[in-house]
Amino acid sequence: MFFSPLSSTMTVIAIAGALLLPSLLFAFNTNITTLLAEFQNNARIVLYLTRDISDSQALEVSNNLLTSNAIDSADFISNEEALLSFSEAAGFSQIVADLEANPLPASIVITPNLAGLAGLDQLAVRLDQMPEVELVQVDSLWLRRLAAISELIVLAARALGLIVLLCLCFIIGNTVRSHIENRRDEIKIIKLVGGTHSYIARPFLYTGLFYGLLGGLLASLLQATIFLSFRDPLNEIFNLYDSSFTLPLLAPAMLITLAFSGALIGWLAAIISAYRYINAIST
Amino acid sequence: MISFDKVSKQYISGQCALASVSFEIDKGQMAFVTGHSGAGKSTLLKLVLATEKCSSGHVVVNGTDLNHIRKREIPFFRRRIGMVFQDHQLLNDRSVADNVALPLDISGFSRSDARRRVRAALDKVGLLGKEKQFPAALSGGEQQRVGIARAVVNRPSIILADEPTGNLDPELSMETMEVFEQFKNVGVSLLIASHDISLINRMDCRTLILNGGALIGDTGHGELS
Repeated sequence: MFFSPLSSTMTVIAIAGALLLPSLLFAFNTNITTLLAEFQNNARIVLYLTRDISDSQALEVSNNLLTSNAIDSADFISNEEALLSFSEAAGFSQIVADLEANPLPASIVITPNLAGLAGLDQLAVRLDQMPEVELVQVDSLWLRRLAAISELIVLAARALGLIVLLCLCFIIGNTVRSHIENRRDEIKIIKLVGGTHSYIARPFLYTGLFYGLLGGLLASLLQATIFLSFRDPLNEIFNLYDSSFTLPLLAPAMLITLAFSGALIGWLAAIISAYRYINAIST
Repeated sequence: MISFDKVSKQYISGQCALASVSFEIDKGQMAFVTGHSGAGKSTLLKLVLATEKCSSGHVVVNGTDLNHIRKREIPFFRRRIGMVFQDHQLLNDRSVADNVALPLDISGFSRSDARRRVRAALDKVGLLGKEKQFPAALSGGEQQRVGIARAVVNRPSIILADEPTGNLDPELSMETMEVFEQFKNVGVSLLIASHDISLINRMDCRTLILNGGALIGDTGHGELS
């Protein structure tokens, strides 16, 4: 079933490499998405309300905002509360005591959900258009950027996945072709004695499946190794961001997915290639 | 049975291999095909095996008109024919037993059933002791006999042979012919291409004579001169 240990090993490594790229991207992106969900709490939009609005009106506005499907929470802070927390902040109590009137406006602090995070700009514009809102302050620009990048990575992962699929088909198809060419005379004899194409193709299909499976397993091994070496620095970063998130070392799901995809693609590529080249052998 | 009706074969290169050949071989009939090299003997066999398609005329084998056979039907058609090749065509990476078992494996026989039949076939050609050996370790004559065993193991209704006694001494040649006779007697049609004139004369059997692609003689139970 194998050419030689060296060329077989090279084929398996090529398959593993091809499978590894989209897998890494996907894993990377999954981690980012998890992080985003966690940091979501830090994302805020603060709506500073106009002066002429009463507390009860503002509270009503705040409750209405809760019904939006882009917003997780909306907290109303009256101008008295704002002044109080301002004065409690370091060193401001004296200044506040000296003030004649409350200069601070009332505000609503909004926490958008992940969907809101993606369309933060539009959300901010919509909120700004509300008559009760004087000023919109958008926090966490970086988080928004991260969300956008995450979407881009997903797109890249999918495109790469498609290219990888083609590459794998080519690698395995080529390997199967070589094996078939090597056994040309044999195949001729089997055809003359009444062997069908599926009878002849069967061992080559197992070859493709096996190569694909090995490639998938090697890919998951490589991915685990990469995660291992990145683990400590990354966990350090997560810690600094006060996140309890840690990088998983080896998810069983990843191993199974890679092994299975490898085997499946290997088998399918072998089918296409085997029947094509067996057909081409004339008798 | 085999039926040729005004069959001609012309290759794309323009070479005319057969010209309007007609004959019939019934069940339980054995016939030689002879003629000089290039007379069309191998082409004749190829047409029966559906390796080539005739340019005109009809070839009917085992009730199947080969002008109309579909590509995916051909393997099943060939399983009812036992072919003995000129250069034995054995698989070198398999043992003698596995080589002989090939037609049975293709047809889906279980290992144990196959083993019995393989032994019987090897016994018929006198090679029972060599089951486990590989073709490379056998003499030319022994390899040829393995090829014959493979051709008969699946009890085909037609046996085609292309120079089956090429590598065999006179005694072995006669023994091989005896095996073929046994099959003839149970109703198998045999068509043997050979230019071993002495053997043909000894056998005193129906002989089709080809010359330049044309059938110029059909001795024995045939119809014409």
